[in-house]
Amino acid sequence: MRFRPGKIALIAAVVVSYLFLYLPIVHIGLASLSRNSSFPYPPHWSFATMSRLLGNSLYQTALGNSLLLGVLVATLSTALAGAATIGLMRHAGRKTTLFLALFIAPLFVAEVLLGISSLIFSGLFLGLQGNLGSAVLANVVHCFSYALLIMATQLYRYDWRLDDAAMVFGATPARTFFEVTLPLIWPGLLGAFIVTFIMAFNNLEISFYLLGATPTLPSVAWGALRYGVKPELYALATCVNLVVLCVLAVMFVLMRTGLATFGHRPERERAAV
Amino acid sequence: MRTRLAPWLTLGVPTVFLVALFVLPLLSMLVLSVWRTENYHIVQDWNLRNYWVLATDGAYATFLLRSIAMATAVSVICTAIAWPVAYGITLYGGRYKLLLTLGFAVPFLTGEVLRVIALQGLLGPVGLVNGVLMSLGAAPLRAIMYTNVASAIGLVYLYLPIVVTVIYLSLLNFDQRLLDAAKIFGASPARAFFEIAWPLNLFGTLIGFALCFIPCLSATLAPRFLGGPNGTLYGMAMAQQFGESGTWALGAAMGVVLFALSIAAVFVAFRTVDLRRTGFTGFGRG
Repeated sequence: MRFRPGKIALIAAVVVSYLFLYLPIVHIGLASLSRNSSFPYPPHWSFATMSRLLGNSLYQTALGNSLLLGVLVATLSTALAGAATIGLMRHAGRKTTLFLALFIAPLFVAEVLLGISSLIFSGLFLGLQGNLGSAVLANVVHCFSYALLIMATQLYRYDWRLDDAAMVFGATPARTFFEVTLPLIWPGLLGAFIVTFIMAFNNLEISFYLLGATPTLPSVAWGALRYGVKPELYALATCVNLVVLCVLAVMFVLMRTGLATFGHRPERERAAV
Repeated sequence: MRTRLAPWLTLGVPTVFLVALFVLPLLSMLVLSVWRTENYHIVQDWNLRNYWVLATDGAYATFLLRSIAMATAVSVICTAIAWPVAYGITLYGGRYKLLLTLGFAVPFLTGEVLRVIALQGLLGPVGLVNGVLMSLGAAPLRAIMYTNVASAIGLVYLYLPIVVTVIYLSLLNFDQRLLDAAKIFGASPARAFFEIAWPLNLFGTLIGFALCFIPCLSATLAPRFLGGPNGTLYGMAMAQQFGESGTWALGAAMGVVLFALSIAAVFVAFRTVDLRRTGFTGFGRG
């Protein structure tokens, strides 16, 4: 095999970017698990920081709220985005571009602007107090567009003739949806659910303005960060990183074993390099 | 009327939802921006004084210019790093392509606050870089402690994953047999890249660029913790109007400025290229 500088440069770029992304994560992971937390090389292992974090009741309440927020946002945005994707592909006709532009517009508005404008609308014009509900609604706007993109990649290849066939044989639209469409598209829905859950769970810039006095994990972490970085924050970030890593690992195993595709299309793999 | 129910349900409900919770809030921000705040109360008189303040007060102009420069630099750096990474993964990733791409999504999905915390661990005064330097007996690097350089590194760290993912998705939909064809006809890898891969994935690249540029333009968290006294960005100043200073109307005007700038940037980017020649295949017509 001859020497290929282009190949080496590209692989080096991948490796260096991985190092850049993961060095801080590994660093704070080590820092949260050792006694010498500011420079843990070599680490003196200890679980003191972790147990202090897990025993803190404020973080427990915040975790509960964050989970609730995540589940509600993920359910709502996945359902809405699923409907919107089907609508775009089946019913929009010549207005597809118009609807698509509206549906993905939230992607092009910064999160903090969504948060602030929702605060002005609900807090000032409608006179509502911020609570978990308003934070959920504002987060759904943002997550909806991401869910739509994820499902669009999955449904792009969906064969709508299957639905037509079911209808020809006398199935009602509802029955067609639940017996033909849904079983075939659930991996896309699940993928969108997982991603939007994680996004809403971690969101600060939207939620911050709408939560009122409800603590969530990111807002508690933000509050603590103002008084300097403490080892507990490293521990918190490490816990969340580990959970996300596990979820994505499960998704990867499902894809590899062929149980679900999440929009990935193996038939498009390159035949030869 | 059964046939009319499905379109209403699938298109009407999301549309109503977005109009109520996305378009109306943005309009209310626009309305508030022409009112004014006095002693924490909103006074409803219609004038453009907030915009006049923003245009004449030197500080806000500086913040805005600094934000634009920062967002442009960060987006260019991110795109420049993301292209070789995504291209490398699609060309040489083999069966681990998916794993490698998911690996980039992990940091993106762990939330901005937690990633800023991780960055403090990397760049802060007692962080990894300076810790290594000091244990080697060298002086700590001042350039990465509470400076604009630190903010820029932080923003690249925050938005690199999404740019990589978007360009990777674009490359996934791109027919790579075209590259093979080019090579068979004698094109060098570099020429195949510049004449086929780059122009045909320009649309995906632009989306990636926009998805990095827009949040960077209104970044609030990273500059606050990584930037120093000269690191105030526009988004940060805007957030302060809603927090400490309580001047909501001025903040709303700043929001309108940011929104207009983002839209203008997207518009300019997508006007300068011919979409049909950049691999844009439309939607749902495959």
